[in-house]
Amino acid sequence: MSEATGESRSEPAHVGDDEELTATRGTADVNEIPLRVRNLRKTFGGITAVDNAGFEVERGTMTGLIGPNGAGKSTTFNCITGVHTPDSGVVEFNGTDITGLEPYEVANRGLVRTFQIARELSEMTVLENMLVAPKNQRGEKLWRSVLAREDVNQQEYELVERAWETLDFFDIDHLAEEYAGNLSGGQRKLLELARALLTDPDMLLLDEPFAGVNPTLEERLLEHIHDLRDQGYTFLIVEHDMDLIMQNCSKVIVMHQGNILTEGTPDQVRNNEQVIEAYLGGEV
Amino acid sequence: MSESQSDGAGLTERLDRLRVEPGNLGVSILDLVAVGVFFLFFLMLVAVGVLSLNYGMYLLGLAGMYGFMIVGLNIQWGYAGLINFSVIAFWGIGAYAAALLTSPGSPHDLLLSPVIALVVAIVAAAIVAVLIGIPTLRLRADYLAIASLGFAEVIRLLFLNEREWTAGSRGISGAPELFEWLPVEPAVRLLSTTASVGTARNTVVILGLLFIGYVLVRRIHRSPWGRVIRTIRADEDLAKALGKNTYMMKMQAFVIGCVLMAVAGWFYMYAFEYLDPGELEPLQTFYVWVALILGGTGSDRGSIVGAVTIVAILEGTRFLNEIDLVVALFEAIPGIALNVSAVRLLLVGLLIILVIRFRPQGILPPKEELIWPGAAPDDSRSQERQATREQRGVDE
Ligand SMILES: Nc1ncnc2c1ncn2[C@@H]1O[C@H](COP(=O)(O)OP(=O)(O)O)[C@@H](O)[C@H]1O
Ligand SMILES: [Mg+2]
Repeated sequence: MSEATGESRSEPAHVGDDEELTATRGTADVNEIPLRVRNLRKTFGGITAVDNAGFEVERGTMTGLIGPNGAGKSTTFNCITGVHTPDSGVVEFNGTDITGLEPYEVANRGLVRTFQIARELSEMTVLENMLVAPKNQRGEKLWRSVLAREDVNQQEYELVERAWETLDFFDIDHLAEEYAGNLSGGQRKLLELARALLTDPDMLLLDEPFAGVNPTLEERLLEHIHDLRDQGYTFLIVEHDMDLIMQNCSKVIVMHQGNILTEGTPDQVRNNEQVIEAYLGGEV
Repeated sequence: MSESQSDGAGLTERLDRLRVEPGNLGVSILDLVAVGVFFLFFLMLVAVGVLSLNYGMYLLGLAGMYGFMIVGLNIQWGYAGLINFSVIAFWGIGAYAAALLTSPGSPHDLLLSPVIALVVAIVAAAIVAVLIGIPTLRLRADYLAIASLGFAEVIRLLFLNEREWTAGSRGISGAPELFEWLPVEPAVRLLSTTASVGTARNTVVILGLLFIGYVLVRRIHRSPWGRVIRTIRADEDLAKALGKNTYMMKMQAFVIGCVLMAVAGWFYMYAFEYLDPGELEPLQTFYVWVALILGGTGSDRGSIVGAVTIVAILEGTRFLNEIDLVVALFEAIPGIALNVSAVRLLLVGLLIILVIRFRPQGILPPKEELIWPGAAPDDSRSQERQATREQRGVDE
């Protein structure tokens, strides 16, 4: 503990010395582990979609959640984000229990998801799409939008400014005044991520962000995600493309038939017998 | 930006300039011009004797009343995607509030002021809306549709059967003058010596209230609230994922819409001075839906256009049997008699088919006018950005 490395590390992937690990448990724990899932279980009628799943996501990392089709990734995702209420188990975010909260409450705590199929609001411009996202806007209160228009206006200018900056970051600012319905598939994916960012999240859950994306755009998206990770955002990415996750995430969680098969660094996972069997024996 | 613009684009541009809104009212110069032309046309019809002034004012009042219902339904269906089949029930709550509290024919003999009745109508409609919203708005849209369909019938039967309270099918007649202090008499006398001052006053009241309501509704429609409500209609899961309490916001939209419908009903009692449960037939709800779809779902201007259109259809068809051509047409087909109400429905059906075929979004669909003024793209900052963007384009 003589060197103050434990606090500011942004790359906690290389688990080396036990001393530091024990030191970070306890109070610093919450700061390091924004998302913690324990004993999660969800059944649909007779089907057990998720069975006793548990894992942690460390702050400032990209963590991958992989597994063959039907492994329970989406269901896990939905249990975390409040779309489904788990039958049992606990989801903790930033140290508080968020199990069973409404999706909007989860999002308002800074845990924000994107959708596998980008959900652009086609009747609105890209800029308007962006402006929906910021939370606790003054103008979302009815009386303010009728009576306190100056307050609303002032905030609206700030939000427009932020929206432009974010669009600029994603290199889609030239599309700001375009109707979102006219965007290409790839541009929609970028908009989806840009919009999620405007909610001021701590952590982003991305559901198959690379599905149906061409290699060029995939490269671009990955670059943006890496940039954001460096800025301190935490990512949990569901993906079935194993190679992509292996190359980009510092930690990989493997699900199989509702269980967590294993978790670890890409190298550890790649060499795991069970994983090889699940992927080669089950699907693919 | 392309330099070569056709004449068509020039016209759009000129029209765009007219969309400037004086005084933050959410009403553009173009709107005001359109309303002005409409009133001129109206006065012309009166001048050439097609309409009597009294009947004309009555029609305007009727359009104002439908305007309230259509604007209310537009907030629910057009903004938020809520399917409300009990428009006429909320209208009835307002109408019965006015009749029971202020009419000399009321079984309660209260003779209160119309203003009190208006407040009661609004509060009652809001409470009932909340009670219907609580169990249905968390569920999919169809649950509200079914619940509201049943509720409309419950309300009708309630007013029909609770005779001691509502006078039942006997109805309630008579109503006090609405806002007698309004100085409309001199203006009316200017136009005509025989015109009814009461009708004129009623018309001024409902159109005045509609204007105020319209301006307020425009504000909320284009506000960040409206932006979220439109998001909910397009994709509620997305709104939730972005942290919006969609249940609360749908509730607000539903309550506002129902309150506007109740205001329409309240007005009816003063315009017609008679009310019985026969007015609460589901057909009325259908007409309001038709008007909204014709005018342009989601469009505020469209709601007003829809109101004028539906009144033109409903009242216009009353005179079908006075038009020689129509009468001759029906006489030419053996075995079919001219039944005005059937022809009216036929015409409404035809109009819906025509609009859906040729203008599926309605006569005046909503578009760019929805953006909150602060976020409108034509501000100077946007031009700055455009400039820097072009510069960057040159650099690269
Ligand atoms: N809403 C649902 N109703 C019934 N079964 C479901 C539902 N959602 C998922 N399942 C089932 O749960 C299992 C896990 O599915 P899912 O979480 O979508 O897996 P993945 O996202 O890993 O492909 C599958 O067998 C699937 O059929
Ligand atoms: Mg899935």
